[in-house]
Amino acid sequence: MFDRKLLLISGKGGVGSSAVTASLALAAARAGRTVLAMGMLDALGLAAHLGAEDLDYEAREVAPRVYTLAVDRSRALDEYLRVQLRLPRPTPTRQLARALNVLVDTAPGVREIISIGKPVYEVWRGSYDLVLVDAPPLGQLFSYLRAPATIADLVPAGPIREQAGRMQVTLGDPATAGLVLVTTPEELPVAETREALDRLGREPVIDLVTVVTNRTLPELAVPAEAVARLPAGPHRRAAELHQALWASQRHWLSALPSGPRLPYLFGSDGPEQVALRLAAVWETP
Amino acid sequence: MTPGRHAHAVLVAGAGGVGKTTISAALAVAAARDGKRTLVVTVDPARRLADALGLSELGNQPTRVAGQRHLWGAMLDVTASWEAIVRRHAAVEVADRLEENPFFRAVADRFPAAQAYAAGEQMAEFIESGTWDVLIVDTPPAVGGIEFFLAPGRMRDLVGGRLLRWLTGAHIPARRTLYRITARPVLRLADTVLGGPLLEEIAEFLLDLRTLYDGLSHRARSIERHLRSAVTVVVTTAQPTPLREATRLFTELPVAAGRPDLVVFNRTLPEAWGAGGRLRAPGLPEATRRALRDNLKRWADESRRQRQARDELAGRFGVAMASLPWLEEAPISLQGLTRLLDAAEGLPLDRLGLIGTE
Repeated sequence: MFDRKLLLISGKGGVGSSAVTASLALAAARAGRTVLAMGMLDALGLAAHLGAEDLDYEAREVAPRVYTLAVDRSRALDEYLRVQLRLPRPTPTRQLARALNVLVDTAPGVREIISIGKPVYEVWRGSYDLVLVDAPPLGQLFSYLRAPATIADLVPAGPIREQAGRMQVTLGDPATAGLVLVTTPEELPVAETREALDRLGREPVIDLVTVVTNRTLPELAVPAEAVARLPAGPHRRAAELHQALWASQRHWLSALPSGPRLPYLFGSDGPEQVALRLAAVWETP
Repeated sequence: MTPGRHAHAVLVAGAGGVGKTTISAALAVAAARDGKRTLVVTVDPARRLADALGLSELGNQPTRVAGQRHLWGAMLDVTASWEAIVRRHAAVEVADRLEENPFFRAVADRFPAAQAYAAGEQMAEFIESGTWDVLIVDTPPAVGGIEFFLAPGRMRDLVGGRLLRWLTGAHIPARRTLYRITARPVLRLADTVLGGPLLEEIAEFLLDLRTLYDGLSHRARSIERHLRSAVTVVVTTAQPTPLREATRLFTELPVAAGRPDLVVFNRTLPEAWGAGGRLRAPGLPEATRRALRDNLKRWADESRRQRQARDELAGRFGVAMASLPWLEEAPISLQGLTRLLDAAEGLPLDRLGLIGTE
C-alpha cells in the first residue's frame, strides 16, 4: 500500500477515516517513508489524531517523517493560479481575485478541483514519498474525484483544462494513486460502502486499494449456551451485549469484500492514543 | 387545542448513525400516548422510522400509525428540493430559464443547504398547518446536523448576498431588467485567462437566482422563527465524531436557532459495570471465567470513557443530560420504543413539552 505516491482515505462520516489516515501516516513513517498527511474538508479530526492543535496550509512535522497540513481553499486557489496555471504576474488585481472566488464558490467542479489539486500537486512536486489525504466523506467524494472530468467538459480550452487532464491521468494511474475505503460493520456504513464500490465499478476514476473495516469486535470465546446459564449480573449482561453486537458485525462483514480489520478500541484515552494504537495494528503482519 | 394553532416542535439533531431516528420515534410515541396529536418526520433513508412505527411505507403525506389515534409519520422530501424552491419563489419564465441553466443543475446537485432548507420549509408547513399539537423532526444528518439550522441563512445569502451585490453593484433590485453587471469587464478578463466564458455565464445565473429573494427571504425568516421557538434535543454517543458534532451544535448554532435544551447520550453502558463484582458461577472452567472477566473489564473501560465524555459535555455547556441504554438491537415496534423510553434516565418529557398540559 505504501508503495503508491497518493492514497485517498474516505468513508461514511463517523466511521473513523481521520483516525485511519493518521494511523497510516504514522505506520508509513515508521516503515521509513516521508509522509504528508492532508486534511481536506474538516481538518480538525486529522489534527487531533496527529496531536496537532490545528493545521495550517504550510506543512508541519508532527512526528519523525510525518508532515501534515490542511487544504485551505483560498490559499489553494492562490497557489493553483500562481504555480499550476502560471498566471502572469503581477498577481491578479483584487477585483479579479474576487471574481475568481465567485467562480470557486459557484462553478461546478472548480471548488473541488482546487482542493483535490493540492495533493496531486504535492505528488508532482515529489517532496514526499507518500501523500495521504483525509478525503471528504463518501457522500461528497465522487464530486471531488470527478472534478477534473467536469472541468474538462465545461472549459473548452486553456490552462485549466490542460491541468485538469493531467490530474485525471495522475488520479487514474494505479501505480501512483489509490483509494482506501473505511467502514464499520454496521448497516448504513456498509450500505454506503457498497454503493461506492458499485460506483467505482462504473466510473473507474481511481484504483481501489482496499476496504478497511474499523471497530471490529473480537470474538468472545464463551459459547452462548454457557452465557445463558450464568447467574444474572454484569458478567452475563456484558457477555450478552458483546455476543449480540458481534453477531450483528459478522452479518455486515459478510456483505463486504475482504480487507484489513481494525479493532474496536475499548475505553481509549483520546484521538492521539487511537491513532497510535491503530498504527501498531498496521505494523503487525 | 384551538384549531389553527401552531404545533410545538421538537428538533432531534446530531451526527448520523447515533440513533436519532429511533429516539425521534420514541419521543413521538410518548407525546401520542399522552393524547397529543403527534407527527414525526424524518429524512432517514433506511426505513428505520417506518419499521419502528410499523408502517409499511412512509410517504410525503403524513400517514396515521395503525391502531394509534394520535400518531402520524411522514418522510421529508428533499430530493426535488431546488426545483421545488425555485418553482415556489420565482416567476415561471425565470424558473424555466434557471432549470435549463447548466450551473443550476450543477449547484442543485451539490448545494447541501438547499436540501436542508427544503426540509425546513416542509417543517414550517407542518407546524403552521394546525393539524398537530406536536411535531418531532428527525433532522437531516447528511452534512452534519448543524446544516439544518444554518440553511435558511445560507439560502438567503445565496440569493441576496454580498456576492450578488458585488456582481450587480446594486441593492436588492425588483426587476431583472434593472440589473447590470458592473463587474463585467473583470469577468471578461478572468474568462480570457481561464479559457472559457465561465464567469459571465455564472453571473447571469446568479442574477436569475436573485429574483427569488423576496419570497425566499420572507420564508427563511419564518423558518428561523420556528427553529428559535422549537425545543432542540442533541443526540450523541461517546464516539469522537458524534461528540464533535454535538459540540458544534452548542458553539456554532446561529443566534437564529437558539440553544439546545437537552443532550441525549445513546448507547450508554451501566455505570455499575465499572465496579466489576464477583462472578458467582461455581464449576465454570477457568478459561471461560477469565474470558468473561476480561470481557466485563473492557466494557467497563468503555463505560468509564462514556461517563467522562458525558461529564465533559455537561460541564462545558451546563446542559441537561439524559441517557438511553445500549440495546442489542434497535427497536422495531411500538412496544420496543416504549421499552426504550421506560429504560431512559433523565429524560424530562414534560420539560420538552411532550407530556402534560401546556
